[in-house]
Amino acid sequence: MRELMNSTRNKAFLARRSAIGLAGALLIAGCAPQSYLVLLENPGGGTGKVLVTGPGGQQASVERAGDALALAADGPRPLMVDGDQVQRDFGAALAAQPPLPESFLLYFEGGERLTAESLARLPAILAAIGRRPAADVSIIGHTDTVGNASANEGLGLARAEAVRKLLESEGAKPLEMNATSHGERNPLIPTPDETQEPRNRRVEVTVR
Amino acid sequence: MLAFGLSAHAEDNARIGYVKTLSGDANIVSGETTSAARVGSALKLGDRIITGANASLGLILKDNTVLSLGPDTEISVDDYLYAPAREALRLDARILRGTLHYISGVIAKLKPEAVTVRTPTGTIGVRGTRFVVKVAD
Repeated sequence: MRELMNSTRNKAFLARRSAIGLAGALLIAGCAPQSYLVLLENPGGGTGKVLVTGPGGQQASVERAGDALALAADGPRPLMVDGDQVQRDFGAALAAQPPLPESFLLYFEGGERLTAESLARLPAILAAIGRRPAADVSIIGHTDTVGNASANEGLGLARAEAVRKLLESEGAKPLEMNATSHGERNPLIPTPDETQEPRNRRVEVTVR
Repeated sequence: MLAFGLSAHAEDNARIGYVKTLSGDANIVSGETTSAARVGSALKLGDRIITGANASLGLILKDNTVLSLGPDTEISVDDYLYAPAREALRLDARILRGTLHYISGVIAKLKPEAVTVRTPTGTIGVRGTRFVVKVAD
């Protein structure tokens, strides 16, 4: 309840603030160095949200791509910035972005034997590793719910290790290639215990 | 189960990510030791990453969080836990000066309230997104 009242007060405060501050904000954005953030669209499309809490507990948030907040000593406040300014300030940081991580799902006939389709995916994984000058790879093994949980912990790890060995034997040399198991605890398709489910018999390979 | 949890934790603390791109000179300060960053340098919890006047650097953490830094920038990763199997998730980074481009990883997806990026004049709570932030001197 208190939180709700605070948030209502903050909104009213911000509304007043932005009404008076708009001309000032436009001016500020053009010249004086200052701290601020700009929300951007996600790589896959869509936009999340950021919430900023100032030194005195003042809060402000932005939810639309391109919206900005000044991070002033007396708390965050809405800010107008144009694309040129963003490019000037952040061009170097944006250009330094590494290629985004890529994930691959490989499926098993049962045991540690990959399906033919998944075996055919290995070259794509090797290419993703090869494209990156300093790739690190994580391999997580999963099982369906047939058998007991601790045996499945072991089977998941055996699957992950099998994929690691396959990639190594094909010449993959990332900085690090880590095989772990989630056993039956993290199914792609939730099922009751003791249920055959080919889609849960999988290994997830992430190339960073 | 216990052994699994402990080893996952120890591993997280050892290497939390790697430098993936570098242009110009940058340093990694790890405890008392300062070393020149290179593509492939490992990052540990608490490391500070500092870029030079014309430098930029990109890194990826274990949970796929992508951070890239512009020139004259200093950041640190002060808290990092990535063990989804036991729901131990936390990312707390800090930017002291310069410019940072942030793209959410798995931690922000699984537990948005567990991700914070602190600046001298405000703490940024991240709700699954991408943003840029500048901290002026």
